[in-house]
Amino acid sequence: MKTAVLYGASLRWRMLELRRYAFDTLSGVVSIYGFFVVIFFGARIFGGDRPGFGDTLEGVVVSYAVWALTMLALGSLTFELTQEAQQGTLEQLGMSPFGLAPVLVARALTSIVVYFGIWVALFVVMMATTGRWLNVDVVSTLPLVVVTVLGVLGLGFLLGGLAVVFKRIQQALQVWQILVIGLVVVPPDEVVVVKYLPLAWGTHLLRRVMVDDASIFDLSAGDLLFLVANSAFYFVGGIFVFKRFERAARERGLLGHY
Amino acid sequence: MSAVGGGPIVSVEHLTKVYRSRRRGETRAVDDVSFDVAPGEIVGLLGPNGAGKTTTIKCLCTLVTPTSGRMVIDGVDAVASPRAGIAKLAAVLEGNRNIYWRLTARENLEYFAALQGIARGTVTKLINDLIERFGLGEQRDAEARTLSRGMQQKLAVACAFVKQTPILLLDEPTLGLDVEISLELRGMLRSMAADAGRTILLSSHDMDVVQDVCERVIIINNGRIVTSDRIDNLLELFRVRAYRFAVQGKLGDDQQRVLSDAFDGIEIMQDGHLSTIDVELTDGARLYELIDLLRRGDNMIEWIDRRDPDLEEVFLRILRGEIRR
Repeated sequence: MKTAVLYGASLRWRMLELRRYAFDTLSGVVSIYGFFVVIFFGARIFGGDRPGFGDTLEGVVVSYAVWALTMLALGSLTFELTQEAQQGTLEQLGMSPFGLAPVLVARALTSIVVYFGIWVALFVVMMATTGRWLNVDVVSTLPLVVVTVLGVLGLGFLLGGLAVVFKRIQQALQVWQILVIGLVVVPPDEVVVVKYLPLAWGTHLLRRVMVDDASIFDLSAGDLLFLVANSAFYFVGGIFVFKRFERAARERGLLGHY
Repeated sequence: MSAVGGGPIVSVEHLTKVYRSRRRGETRAVDDVSFDVAPGEIVGLLGPNGAGKTTTIKCLCTLVTPTSGRMVIDGVDAVASPRAGIAKLAAVLEGNRNIYWRLTARENLEYFAALQGIARGTVTKLINDLIERFGLGEQRDAEARTLSRGMQQKLAVACAFVKQTPILLLDEPTLGLDVEISLELRGMLRSMAADAGRTILLSSHDMDVVQDVCERVIIINNGRIVTSDRIDNLLELFRVRAYRFAVQGKLGDDQQRVLSDAFDGIEIMQDGHLSTIDVELTDGARLYELIDLLRRGDNMIEWIDRRDPDLEEVFLRILRGEIRR
């Protein structure tokens, strides 16, 4: 029951923050869209009318959409953690009887729910802009998106842990943004090692559903289990590492200091 | 107000916090600190910058892990079970920075209650009450960033009260506030502590705040407790020893030298036709010795008064080691 209170409050907190920082929210969405337009039409100009390039363009839409959701979800974790430390509210979160990590997990998961709504709207606009209507079978796409993003959140917690101890991690975040592009673009069936990294396998399965018109039931149990195991590994691992960093921060008196 | 078996609600035993860094080596921020706080008591934690007040409070809040020692909070060993310990207390550590500036006063109160696991629906009456008591009624739906510094500070304290914990830790709750708001906040703390039976541990540089709000004071310096006593007792200790004499006319240089030789720390101020002498006497009998010396110098004593020291003076003297408790 108490956990439900925390999740309810986190959802409400996220909605209020988005509303109160409406300009920031809107400019974030507009810049994601603007960047997408540049990439998509740039790819079309350079790709020309080569046979099969249409599928690549649809792949670009899916990859970019996954990247956008990832950035929204990650931003809510890492940037905000730094911001909370600067504001002085991180200490208050750290004093919750739920524990800092569970409070942040609640924030992150409820953020995904909210950002998923924004993402769906953005995705529809992207498809309308490009004229490429992909297979948006909710039963197939929703679970794949959620499980894929959970794995990324694990890495978000890893970065969050770094932010708690080292405070300024902007450079690492920029590198991470570029790495995420690699993870959604490089096909894991061609570069096998990528399959074991977060995000890549989920994006690959999403491409199969959305571009190749497959249903989730067409995917093999092995492929789905691998995605679940991969995401669970990164999610749980990320939280574990975050807790280690949190412990170090409490021992060194760094929690909340900026 | 709650405590186990009528004992202290907060019990700190041999608390030590050592920070180690390659550059600065070892820093002993808190060194073997032990104290108890009784249920319903308001205790002030005083000390100069870097004395270890904030580290002590942050250890109690579980934000800093102690190197060694034991902290029992309302019957819970907070070192062994930090989460259970933190459920027993709320804290304001960064004043007006402890709230979300884009949320309204009401939304802040609701969110901080939820962080304690208290549902919005069950806390509406308390929130309304806190909003009224802290004078936030007109600003209840205004974003915190639009409130004055004093209002934000009051909101931060209200957010601590909304958690309904038996213990409240306040680190510099009146820092940066003007006198009027500071006085208002002090009154609120006293009344809230009395009405809700909360135990408060308060750290402040402002002696007036501590003297006004607290019953007992723990003075800490270089990470160690220098004294722990009721404020009344500390003030009384100095009151019985400190005297002020008003003497007609100016004292000659020779007479000033005689007095200075006879009484350590005597202060003589000459002002027009009146000289004021401040002196502290460790032995009451020496009062007559001083009167004799003045009489021999043909100085007419206008009046003698026991000088009332304030907490600031007591604090400084204790830190200087002029008195040990």
